[in-house]
Amino acid sequence: MKSANVDEQVLYQAAAGWLKSAVDILQGAGVEVIAPVETDPGVVELAAVNSSDAVVTDYANVRLPLKQVFFPISEVLLEFDKQPDSDLDVKSEPVASSQEVVVIGARPCDVAALEALDKVFHWDYDDVRYSARRERTTLVTFACTSPDAHCFCTSVGGSPHNTAQSDVLVFLGADGQAQLQVCRDKGTRFIERLGDAVKRAPAGTTLPSPPEVAARFDSEKIKTWLDENFESDFWTDVSLKCLGCGACSFLCPTCHCFDIVDEANWRKGQRRRNWDCCSHPMFTKHASGHNPRPDQASRCRQRVMHKFKYFPERFEQLACVGCGRCTRACCVGQNLVGILTDIEARAKEGNDSDAE
Amino acid sequence: MPNESSASQAQTLIPLDYMSSKMRIVSITDETVDTKTFRLEFCDTEQGATFEFHAGQFGLYSVFGAGEATFCIASSPTEKGYIECSVKRTGKVTDELHQRNVGDIIGFRGPYGNWFPIDQMEGKNLLFVAGGIGLAPLNSLIRNCLDWRDRFKDISILYGARSVDDLVYKERLDAWQQMKDVHTVYTVDPGGETPEWKGEVGLAPTVLMSMKPKPENTVVVLCGPPIMIKFVMESLVELGFSRESAYTTLENRMKCGVGKCGRCNVGNLYVCKDGPVFRCSDLRALPKEF
Repeated sequence: MKSANVDEQVLYQAAAGWLKSAVDILQGAGVEVIAPVETDPGVVELAAVNSSDAVVTDYANVRLPLKQVFFPISEVLLEFDKQPDSDLDVKSEPVASSQEVVVIGARPCDVAALEALDKVFHWDYDDVRYSARRERTTLVTFACTSPDAHCFCTSVGGSPHNTAQSDVLVFLGADGQAQLQVCRDKGTRFIERLGDAVKRAPAGTTLPSPPEVAARFDSEKIKTWLDENFESDFWTDVSLKCLGCGACSFLCPTCHCFDIVDEANWRKGQRRRNWDCCSHPMFTKHASGHNPRPDQASRCRQRVMHKFKYFPERFEQLACVGCGRCTRACCVGQNLVGILTDIEARAKEGNDSDAE
Repeated sequence: MPNESSASQAQTLIPLDYMSSKMRIVSITDETVDTKTFRLEFCDTEQGATFEFHAGQFGLYSVFGAGEATFCIASSPTEKGYIECSVKRTGKVTDELHQRNVGDIIGFRGPYGNWFPIDQMEGKNLLFVAGGIGLAPLNSLIRNCLDWRDRFKDISILYGARSVDDLVYKERLDAWQQMKDVHTVYTVDPGGETPEWKGEVGLAPTVLMSMKPKPENTVVVLCGPPIMIKFVMESLVELGFSRESAYTTLENRMKCGVGKCGRCNVGNLYVCKDGPVFRCSDLRALPKEF
């Protein structure tokens, strides 16, 4: 989106110190730079940086996914003010400024997840805030070097070197050197800006091979089982230990459900959009008290169905990029890969299809 | 899906910033002890002059400071210059709405969603079946159809409520009853009648059986509590109606109204975009989550 694919593979080489140069050049040009920084011991987040000193490069993935840059945890939609002697004043919150943003160092899975978000925020109605942020942002992705046991991108169509939605994919080498693969037009502009800090790689230069991420399940087989098993005891089994805390959704790079609430003192206030989650009982509860998803089993089912059946049917792609955050963060050890491999095993057995 | 004619099929994206238009309350009607109908006019007269919608569409109404809530537009698209919404007091936003007075300003964005396929209903007999506050979306369609009376054949309305006190739009019910070319049957649940009640006493599915409507060349439009829809549909099938010939309108909790916030998602559909109007036969293919 907003940046056309570059036809052939265009490679550049960068010597040690390129990252510092890049941050300095971008800042000099008035560009906001967002990069991974260690906010607490062992916790790496994407945050605005003033220099390359704080940028970390040896991390598995950032804690909060990249989506927060385009779809913030909480944002103002409009402001209203009613003074006793004047009319009610309602103002739409200005859409993001046109200041250019470069995100350096998101992982390929998080960047690929934007494909799903783009589809949601761009069908029929164009969510102007999301679009403006996407439009002004260049994505300089760091190829994945250290996937862990919870990663499963290769089972959902991704890879540690996935270029989907990236403008540049960076392969960090030893001693601060790097190879930069230009993937989209915006990437070409980024490279031009770097000037002498990078040079065209000689013909025949090869890229490092991606680290291995074992394929864990076949999403087609899972879809087939889901098609037949809306009604299944499996969902109760899955839900028994789920606390419905929503950590999996909040950390998911493709989850996009939100709430709209007013925060006000009755005279002056804001209407805000906040991240929300289908695991919460209130999510679907009607004012009348009726709840179409009355128990945790139906809510766990919705989360899996939406990612692996409903979303693919609607938007022709999975709503999962295999980043593994849901599993790492779950306080009761719920494991999405475990759920999906269980489903695949049931699909193979083919004997518990208890659909209506 | 009945949304073949829906604008949602348009290729161009509609920019959306979730801004609410200001609307002034110009009249308030007490329908029942807990339901009021608000007539609203756009504060921006130009917007009011160009505003258009179709019967069956909904909007997000808001009391600034309390939040937004979803209701259908209960007035007819043929009535220009204002819209009406009927609101039952059940939660935070509706509670605040009920405390507003004539002259107060509230917010509105819309219209959203698809609509009743009124074009495909031309030349047909129409049977409307509504229960309780479910008459609100049908009120829009019925008023629209009555304004275009010569486009349709027989028009029948079956309306039921728990008790006489729970009947909404009483003046309109009387007006429809007076019309020579409209067949009306009003009913209240057993025990809900008063000594003065001249209508039927009984549940809608039973009363419908005794009406013996003819399925030939008839389109049915249903709206009411889910349990009523279920049993009315069974009565209709028994009378020879197909589920393809019946339409209903769904409600699910919504926040955005435009297929993004995820709340109204049922299966691979969004009630706010693919509905709220559905053909009853299509509902059978959906997971039972509405």
